[in-house]
Amino acid sequence: MRRSLTASLALVLLNGFTFFAPARAAPQTFNNALPVAAGEFVFREQFIYRKAGDGPGPADRELKVRGALSVLGYGVTGNLAVFGILPYLDKELKLTTPGRQRLTRDTSGIADARLFARYTVYRRDAPGRTLRIAPFLGVELPTGDDDDGDNLGPLPAPLQLGSGSWDLSGGIVATRQTLDYEMDAQVSYKLNTGANQFEFGDEVRLDASFQYRLWPRELSTGVPGFFYGVVEANLVHQEKNKASGVRDDNSGGTSFFLSPGIQYAMERWVLEAIVQLPVTQNLKGTALEDNYVVRTGFRVNF
Amino acid sequence: MMSSNKRTFKTCGFVFAAIMIVALSPMMASAAKPAAIYSLKAEGLSYPFCAYGIEKQLGNIAGVESVSTDIESGTVTVSMEAGASLDESEARHAVEKAGFTLRSFKKGD
Repeated sequence: MRRSLTASLALVLLNGFTFFAPARAAPQTFNNALPVAAGEFVFREQFIYRKAGDGPGPADRELKVRGALSVLGYGVTGNLAVFGILPYLDKELKLTTPGRQRLTRDTSGIADARLFARYTVYRRDAPGRTLRIAPFLGVELPTGDDDDGDNLGPLPAPLQLGSGSWDLSGGIVATRQTLDYEMDAQVSYKLNTGANQFEFGDEVRLDASFQYRLWPRELSTGVPGFFYGVVEANLVHQEKNKASGVRDDNSGGTSFFLSPGIQYAMERWVLEAIVQLPVTQNLKGTALEDNYVVRTGFRVNF
Repeated sequence: MMSSNKRTFKTCGFVFAAIMIVALSPMMASAAKPAAIYSLKAEGLSYPFCAYGIEKQLGNIAGVESVSTDIESGTVTVSMEAGASLDESEARHAVEKAGFTLRSFKKGD
């Protein structure tokens, strides 16, 4: 029972919380390549609510994750920016035991922090538009509690706040931005290492975002606020997890999310919200399937 | 008695004149040297949240009084304090530090 639970939670929890959208990003579910001015800070707070389950069944598992991701970005130069991400998560899993008892297992606190750097290698600026390409490289630190437990014993690894391991991630992101719209595309890879005899499967992602200025239709003088309609897509594939060196057949798989959203951008502030909806989920074994993920938050320049 | 009052008025008049000269001298200097305004064209600027970076970088230059942006035309207007001037290379460096490209630099009225 515990093994099955561990396996099924792995993908669900990893999909949404290993690749946090950094501060400067116009997309809301991943990164972009727009600059952070040298010596300038950008702060982003993103609130998340995620719900997953396995539908009607004997266990009737239901997972809820609430979280707040605090992101601080700093421009080292006009082309180089560094980011730090500190998540606070509240995870709750409900399930029914074979003895028809409904159980709740939960935990909350600081999860694994992430640091990464992004460098713009290609930049083509023109009046009112830009095209940028920027690779990035980062590491996830084991700052979250990885040995939490309750009266049933230690929580399964995917339900812990932290993985206990140092995990590398990297990729490349491209952004095409004009006064009317923005397009972003990203490919990334996360190399997970093991801890506590458990190793999450590596993860590869393809992300895309399109934002279109809905208002104002005609630009006035100065810097008016832009109201965007947003559509994002995320294709996520994760390898199987390993427990004590053995591959878990109830973990890993591929998911595709399509996400409508809105964004209001001003000079100092950005307000945004998006709902990630699973279109297809080809998950291995008894993995839990996502119902939806809601993200809302703000960014501020200072 | 009359002569003493005259002397007092005279002294007060000198003191008042001296205070006025000291107080108004910066304004007179300003009038002599009007504040310069520069018009910069920045390429790559297309998002309101990015405009702040350019304005902050240019605002950090000594002598800059205010900076304003027109995002549609990509024009950044820099107003200088009286007597101060903006060097093109300094402006180019500031725009570059913000992550954008300076296309043109023009001194206005």
